[in-house]
Amino acid sequence: MDFDFSPEQYMFQESVRTFLAQRFDGAKARALTEHDGGGEPLWHGLRDLGIFSMLVPEAFGGLGLSLVDLALPLEEFGRALVPPSIGETIAATDLLVQYATDEQRARLLPQISQGELTVVNALLETQADFSPNSMSLAAVASGNGWSVSGTKILVPYAKHADLILVALRFGDSGSLGFAAVEPNRRGISLRAHTSIDVANGYYEVMFDDTPLVREDIVGGEPIADSVWRVFDVGGLVSATQMSGIAAKMLDASIIYARQRSQFGSPIGSFQAIKHRCADMAVSIDASRSAAYYAAWALSDRSQDSPRAVSIAKSYCGDAARYVCNESIQIHGGVGFTWELGLHYYLRRAKTLEYLYGDASYHRERVLAMTLAQLDAEGVD
Amino acid sequence: MDFSYSSENQKFRDELRSWLRQNLPTGWGATTFEPEDEDEYARFRLDWERKLYRGGWNGIAWPEKYGGRGATLIEQAIFAEEMALAKAPEGLNIIGRNLVATTLFHHGSEAQRERYLPKIISGEEVWCQGFSEPNAGSDLASLKCRAIRDGDHFIVNGQKVWTSFAQYAQWCILLARTDAAAPKHRGISFLLVDMRTPGITIRPLKQISGENEFNETFFDDVRVPAENLVGELNNGWKIAMTTLAYERGPEDALGRQIRFKQELELLLRSARTLKRGSKTAIDDPVLRQKLAKSIVEIEIMRLNCLRSFSKVLKGAARGAEASINKLYWSHATQTMYETALETLGPLATVAGGDPVAVAGGRFQLGFLRSRAFTIYSGSSEIQRNIIAERVLGLQK
Repeated sequence: MDFDFSPEQYMFQESVRTFLAQRFDGAKARALTEHDGGGEPLWHGLRDLGIFSMLVPEAFGGLGLSLVDLALPLEEFGRALVPPSIGETIAATDLLVQYATDEQRARLLPQISQGELTVVNALLETQADFSPNSMSLAAVASGNGWSVSGTKILVPYAKHADLILVALRFGDSGSLGFAAVEPNRRGISLRAHTSIDVANGYYEVMFDDTPLVREDIVGGEPIADSVWRVFDVGGLVSATQMSGIAAKMLDASIIYARQRSQFGSPIGSFQAIKHRCADMAVSIDASRSAAYYAAWALSDRSQDSPRAVSIAKSYCGDAARYVCNESIQIHGGVGFTWELGLHYYLRRAKTLEYLYGDASYHRERVLAMTLAQLDAEGVD
Repeated sequence: MDFSYSSENQKFRDELRSWLRQNLPTGWGATTFEPEDEDEYARFRLDWERKLYRGGWNGIAWPEKYGGRGATLIEQAIFAEEMALAKAPEGLNIIGRNLVATTLFHHGSEAQRERYLPKIISGEEVWCQGFSEPNAGSDLASLKCRAIRDGDHFIVNGQKVWTSFAQYAQWCILLARTDAAAPKHRGISFLLVDMRTPGITIRPLKQISGENEFNETFFDDVRVPAENLVGELNNGWKIAMTTLAYERGPEDALGRQIRFKQELELLLRSARTLKRGSKTAIDDPVLRQKLAKSIVEIEIMRLNCLRSFSKVLKGAARGAEASINKLYWSHATQTMYETALETLGPLATVAGGDPVAVAGGRFQLGFLRSRAFTIYSGSSEIQRNIIAERVLGLQK
């Protein structure tokens, strides 16, 4: 029984935090509002730290590590507001490791491991809810392959990605699966969204008779489980980053409350502020418990993993929202200024809250799975 | 990260499980339940505790020298889990077994340990705790109950309150002021008081749940032998802080989580059968969200416990982090009981004893009891101060 990280895992977190603090602080996040995407030095730095090779098996030149090893680094990504394309690539790597054909693995994983491939996921549609089951974009049989016409929305950094993993319904059966396409493939056009998350770029990806061949299909044929796997790993990646954002916002609140003086005392000495900070600390601690357990459950491929992810995604989403709101409140008027920059965290947290299912969606999923479990136990 | 148990731990669990199967009353939890009358229930709990002792399962954390098993922390956690899973009654002598024993292990004399510990573990002597006073609650160090030295005795005068189990107790751990001139934290001593001494009066305090677990206790010229002083004179505050650090460790918290989870599962089963016109309560989407929120929060309670527990296993001090866990679970479980009543809809207020009460009225009782969670063992406000000052470093 050990629900904790190893000294090595904590040391690695420290390295990631130090690197990000030196190379990619809040100011850099602001710069990204002016030219979207980018961040080559960041990408290379993370590659040098080994981030992209962690999930890649040793046979393909990677480190053969697990999502548990990535939980603390992901928290740091949230804290530093790294572009979501990094978390997306991590979720996509997991997908390829679990479901891709040998040929796809041999072709893609070594490139990912070397930090040469940015992969992002396209799941959302304007007419669908959060569940992959409600997606309708279809791959229609055409010649030896398929053809896709329609739209996916909110695909992070689609313009800068090397590959987009598009969740689709295939053929007459409409079974779910992923196709990996390059953004410059025939029939694909991109339109930058206007998003509240100003620090990065989301795109609408439009397909107009875009051709697919069998080699594009992850796993060689549509695998519905693979879509749920990305949904769950994406949920974990979002949940851990939200914990990191919340932790950063609490740190900022404490620093400010210790320095800011009113009525002749630091405001942090007032219980009205102290108690808010304590409640924020409690919800961050609980967020971590939920997110770390989900990371373990997914790594272990435990039966319980979808439920663990939904617990984490719903709790961390509510907690990050709450902590960001409180942090701005504690900072008072200056917290509402664009210049101070708290809003970048608020905006990112808000975005992550709605990616891969919001809290209400995941709560409903937790309830349904819990009731099914009670049925299975049968005792009354 | 590893959620498995060693085969040795598994063996311990199996041994306990089979002992419980053989020793809990026949039909326990199905046809046999805890007695409803409070005094009868207290005797039942004491009998159960004595049975545990005879089976070698009471005070397992204690060193073997004093009749325990020297159980490891993991074994203590397994014990708490298994007792909860079996819905086993809680012993009556919780204060004796946990607080008094821990205090004597750390600060008692060998003579005190030899005198008191064997009768605690055997269930012969039940203990209560005389710490809080009407004007010393959160500000415990301002307590006024006096103990004045008179030859080889202390003469105790004053009043204590919220004295749980005083009506069943033979002994009491008492904090009393022995130096009124010293700063408030430095004039308190820790005494062991025989509840049968003349001058002690107990008056029951009825709780909002209708139950009577705690009492007011009055001390009028109560003579306490000087050898009943624990540790040094006027050092009682420090001793009391050790006592309270062990009041509720993460190993017990795992058991508590299981009991709340059982309540929640019962609530979910009730929600599926409770009619709401042509539908059932579980079909209500608003209720579904609230029930799910409680499932999430109660599961995270377990995960929080396991995380702190893992840190304690590695030798981390039992520190202010305990306050984070306490603040979390107390509010999460209050929310759960509020949702429970909401789930019952029009039957929300129909309590135990009424033929149409849901689940024997346990949710109403649980709801009323839950109001105490954010008050006892340090109110939420005190926990927040501790977290803000000692964990987050905000100014006093």
